[in-house]
Amino acid sequence: MTADTLLQVDDLHLHYQTQRGALRAVDGARFDVRRNEALVILGESGCGKSSMAKALLRLLPRNINHFAGRIVVDGVDTSPYSEERFRREIRWRRISYVMQAAMNALNPVVRVGEQVAEPLRVHEGWSRSRALRRAREVFEQVGISTDFLRRYPFELSGGMRQRAVLAMALITEPDLVILDEPTSALDVLTQASIMNVLKGIKAEQGTSFILITHDIATSSELADRVALMYAGRIVEATDAATFFEHPAHPYARMLMASVPRLHERERPTHIPGEPPSLIAPPTGCRFAERCPQRFGRCVEDPPGYRLGPRHVVHCWLHGPGRRAGGGED
Amino acid sequence: MSAPDAASGSTARAARARRAWLRDLRQVALFTGKRLLALFVTVLVGVYLTIVIANMGGQVDDLRLAQIEATIGEEVRADPGFFDLPSEERNEIIERRVQMEVERLRLDEPFIMRSFDYLQQAIRLDLGRAEQMHSDAGSRQVSMIILERLPATLLLFGTANLLVFVVSVFVALVLSRRYGSPGDRAVIALAPSSAAPGWFYGIFLILVFAFVFPILPDGGMVEVPPPEGTFAYWLSVLEHMTLPLLAMFISTIFISIYSWRTFFLIHSSEDYVEMARAKGLPERLIERRYILRPTLPPIITSFLLMLIGLWSGAIILEQVFNWPGLGTLLFEAIGYRDTPVIIGGVVIFAYLLAVTVFLLDLLYAVLDPRVRVGSGE
Repeated sequence: MTADTLLQVDDLHLHYQTQRGALRAVDGARFDVRRNEALVILGESGCGKSSMAKALLRLLPRNINHFAGRIVVDGVDTSPYSEERFRREIRWRRISYVMQAAMNALNPVVRVGEQVAEPLRVHEGWSRSRALRRAREVFEQVGISTDFLRRYPFELSGGMRQRAVLAMALITEPDLVILDEPTSALDVLTQASIMNVLKGIKAEQGTSFILITHDIATSSELADRVALMYAGRIVEATDAATFFEHPAHPYARMLMASVPRLHERERPTHIPGEPPSLIAPPTGCRFAERCPQRFGRCVEDPPGYRLGPRHVVHCWLHGPGRRAGGGED
Repeated sequence: MSAPDAASGSTARAARARRAWLRDLRQVALFTGKRLLALFVTVLVGVYLTIVIANMGGQVDDLRLAQIEATIGEEVRADPGFFDLPSEERNEIIERRVQMEVERLRLDEPFIMRSFDYLQQAIRLDLGRAEQMHSDAGSRQVSMIILERLPATLLLFGTANLLVFVVSVFVALVLSRRYGSPGDRAVIALAPSSAAPGWFYGIFLILVFAFVFPILPDGGMVEVPPPEGTFAYWLSVLEHMTLPLLAMFISTIFISIYSWRTFFLIHSSEDYVEMARAKGLPERLIERRYILRPTLPPIITSFLLMLIGLWSGAIILEQVFNWPGLGTLLFEAIGYRDTPVIIGGVVIFAYLLAVTVFLLDLLYAVLDPRVRVGSGE
């Protein structure tokens, strides 16, 4: 952990209670985010990405079974914080969040401006008019007409609502913004313009981002680092360039091979099989079942092997003596 | 609505704002008018159906005719002035009087014609005179009979329902936050207790608190004779109210909490509630602004419907506790086939319902911006 580490997550677990037993949505995640860094958490549907976002903000569902782990914000461990202290000091002051269903994230009976300005009034005790003036600024920043401040959410289009929620997440100038699939429900043009807004904010304000997505192409625009999730675990974490060019984990490689690229003759391939159940995950490596390179050791849990200063991969192929199996370095 | 606050600019803008405002006003008036018309038609249909049913499609006329003949025959035969007349003449007098009565009530006209006159009278709230029943003060005016019973019903059922409503909404809000807690599970387990009606619990309550431990009265609304002095009077009423109140409370409170709790649970998993939580808003603010406020329309609806539900009282509960309310009245009226009283009760109910629905329409528009009539800006 270095001085400019903003968020450090250790051994994060979030298990849900279901009819058939505990569902391990997040099962021992470990990663960090530095200041002014954008981390993309990549993974297919149901791998626990959104649960991870919620766990980071302690937004626990009713059917919680097990929640544990250390979330260190700016060098301070928040795990001993009471619910009330966490709410006051962390939520929206340090970490804000744009939820997956941002279209429905606005209260239908309260004017958009009031909702966007609300965090400043609650957390900083600002007056209504001062908070609304600031809301006007962030609206301009994310590219929505300030006329919409006086409108109700149902009067805004989906893209506008998405931007309004983004404005709401930025209004307190938090250190870190978690974006859960911020563009997946939008058309390509709106997607691109929102990604540009994010890039601009990152450059101007030094904000860090965690972008949770399954969209490799869109996320590559913002990503400094990539953490790849599979079945509740992070299987590889590295800088974006390495990940997109030379991924180390077999899953990562197969995933990259499945992305269609322009100007290339190679046809995209797909990964046979499907992810394991998170209720009774297989022991050992969770990708083993679908992995063409599996061997005897894969029945044991692979530890994290360090391939570079900030490059960790959980795969036996990169273990001592097995480097030949496919390591890139 | 684009209020005239934009008028600060040039006069042209002021005029435009004024026009927009007038257009809004016209739209609101149009909407209100349409709603009123629709509700009036609903009331008409409801009342007319009641008139037809309460008269059994005209069959009650035959009963009424037989009754008139019997009453007049009795009267004439009992009148000493007619004792020395020969029986033919007496019969003639009877027949003439019956004829007069029939003409007065227009029983010789087909029922269908009269039914529209009845409808017209009912709609004008001209409830007429009861056939058999009379108020305790001796009046035969249907409106007097109903008015006399109304306060008793409103007092008992109003208190009970208000109590249940307020307690259940409040407790439900608390429980929805403590999903799966022992209190929550206790309410779920107790909810089936509402399968038994209030009077069922009433019988046991009377048994226990009026007979086994005689600490409360077993029925009625006030001691006989009523105590002197306002305070003593109301104390006695309170004493008499306790058991029926308790019976109604027990029989509805758990299911009511249970359903409100489920309602709040559903609405507290809305995305915008989770967003409010993520924003770090305090729980009280989330409850007020993100759970209660968006759900206010259905809460108010059920509150108002509950209020007008008071009108019908509860027939059996009033009987069990010997409570002099409207439920008992309507029950007796049906027994006597006293059509004017039955129709009177229904007419007032229909009007109350229509007024409530109309109020709800207006309230929705105030509470929910999405319902506001297209005040196009």
